[in-house]
Amino acid sequence: MDENNLEAKVSLDNEFGLHARPAAILAKEAQKFSSDIRLLLDGREVDAKSILDILTLAATSGSVLIIRARGDDAPAAVKRIKQIISARFEAKR
Amino acid sequence: MARKALKGIPVSAGIAIGKTYFLDMGGNTSTVRMDIDKGHIHEERNRLKKAFSLALTDLENIRKKIPPELKEQSTIIDSHIMILKDRKFQKSARDYIRSRMINAEWALEYAVSDIEEVFSRIEDEYIRERIQDVRLVADRVRKQLHGQPADKGSMTQRMILLASDLSPADTIELQLDKIMAFATMSGGKTSHAGIIARSLQIPAIVGVEGLSELQGGQFVILDGFNGKIIVDPEEDELSHYTELKYQFAEYQSLVNRNCYLPAETIDGYRIRVAANIELFEEVTAVLDRGGEGIGLYRTEYSYLNRENLPGEEELFEEYRDLASIAYPHKVVIRTLDLGADKIATQLGPFREANPALGLRAIRFCRKYPELFKTQLRAILRASAQGNVSIMFPMVSGLQELREVKKIYFSVRDELKAENIDYDPAMPMGIMIELPSAVLTSDLLAREVDFFSIGTNDLIQYSLGIDRTNKHVSYLYQPLHPAILRSIKMIIDAGHEAGIEVSLCGEVAADPYCVPILMGMKIDSISLNPQAIPGIKRIIRQTTMDECMELLKRVLESNDIQDSNRLVTEMIFTRFPEELMFYTSLVED
Repeated sequence: MDENNLEAKVSLDNEFGLHARPAAILAKEAQKFSSDIRLLLDGREVDAKSILDILTLAATSGSVLIIRARGDDAPAAVKRIKQIISARFEAKR
Repeated sequence: MARKALKGIPVSAGIAIGKTYFLDMGGNTSTVRMDIDKGHIHEERNRLKKAFSLALTDLENIRKKIPPELKEQSTIIDSHIMILKDRKFQKSARDYIRSRMINAEWALEYAVSDIEEVFSRIEDEYIRERIQDVRLVADRVRKQLHGQPADKGSMTQRMILLASDLSPADTIELQLDKIMAFATMSGGKTSHAGIIARSLQIPAIVGVEGLSELQGGQFVILDGFNGKIIVDPEEDELSHYTELKYQFAEYQSLVNRNCYLPAETIDGYRIRVAANIELFEEVTAVLDRGGEGIGLYRTEYSYLNRENLPGEEELFEEYRDLASIAYPHKVVIRTLDLGADKIATQLGPFREANPALGLRAIRFCRKYPELFKTQLRAILRASAQGNVSIMFPMVSGLQELREVKKIYFSVRDELKAENIDYDPAMPMGIMIELPSAVLTSDLLAREVDFFSIGTNDLIQYSLGIDRTNKHVSYLYQPLHPAILRSIKMIIDAGHEAGIEVSLCGEVAADPYCVPILMGMKIDSISLNPQAIPGIKRIIRQTTMDECMELLKRVLESNDIQDSNRLVTEMIFTRFPEELMFYTSLVED
């Protein structure tokens, strides 16, 4: 498997799903990485660095998201995004 | 150009004749499409880029200034910052400049409508509504493009202002002396725009259909009595309205001449007529118009349109000066009624699904006790230097009142321990504006020194209607039996407990409603300063007997139409000369 092309599954457990605040937190974190980061849900794919893209995913609580990253810091990126979602966006901001 | 007439809801009496000025409140009313040539594409793209980055700096500065106790609000600003930094959004707008060869403003419109389209397909209502945030962010960029901020200050001569809506915060930025009248698209009979207009004594109409089709610089007549705007009027209309304007000015001067006489009925029943004000500067207007003190001092304005919260010293000086100018008259200071539609702009857009049912007034203060205590200290200190009363808004029941009193008394103890002067006998009262407070008014009356009935909110909460929504504002009926019974219940409960009952809503300035309040033996009323002379004149010309008789008949009728007819009849037979110049909350 390519170290720089990774995928991870994570389930969204916060109360209201990917609404404005979590989307802002996600996009902000994603922008810290140079890799291209995508979020996938039900065959749709969006740019994790774009808050508007994330919002249009309209992921509700209980959805299972796939994080896909491609680039030099892909492993760190996937790890961090997964961690934030798992921690219900309540970890350090 | 052809004559055209638009209809709206009259909220402030008077006639204005002049040119229109269309205020761009960030809405798309003044965004125009312009084609650009190839040579300007680069320049236009840079202009948009710069606007985005200026808007970002702006937001980041706002973010920094949010006071620590309101950090929650900063998450909304955070998401706005992320939208502004969204590369796709920015790129899409900039690409439109090149592909369509259009100006930056219009390209931004295109980019926003693309996003709107995508969002409109989202099922989750909450997320779909986030399009509002995108629009707010786009507004910020648009303002930067226009040369910031939105040009509220560029009127050169006195104009008739047209706007989508006017909030109290907006008016702070306006050059009020340049406005001879205004009309707004949204709003109902008691929206804030009307309150503002009446306090400025300029005619105003709200909820005007088709207002967006008007342009700046058109010649119009604005009829604040009947809620009409006539564009490019005929010769005879012009002379009719010029005459009416003149007559109204004469009537006003007649009424003002006798404003110092007491509000005492022919048969000797006297009430106190005080004023509702929001700006310190209005005090002189109150005294000039025969107002007997301040029945409601709204304290929100010191918290609006600024970058930090006011400190104790600043508030103390404001309240002290107010109390000493009004002395020996009484000044009732209402603690912060912030929230809902009066949010301080430095807190950012404060989103709640139901602001009127959300974190506002006394609830807001209890959530931010430090902010509340600062104000309490300032009011208490001012009480040592004038005739001051304190009043808490939006109290919903006994339990809540006791919690608030606990905070209040702990602040008094603090001052005492610090050897700081205050008046330990300062009257403490509450606004009765929630149905729950009405029904428990007998219990609440034992805990306070006075009641003040806030009819604007009481009607809104009792009848379940948003007073600024023009689709339901027709249901805003002060003479609804539920409202009349509520007011009577409050007054009776107050008097039973031996406390004074005042009324400070719009109803107090409505000639159709005042005789009924008199019949219920209200102790005092508080209204906008401008209406004081006219209302005092009506009171002086009535008798308590006829007011009580009217009340009896109205309470017996179980039909609003009937009640409305009864009061209209009385006013019509007793004060025919007043009728022409009054706009009433009562439908006829």
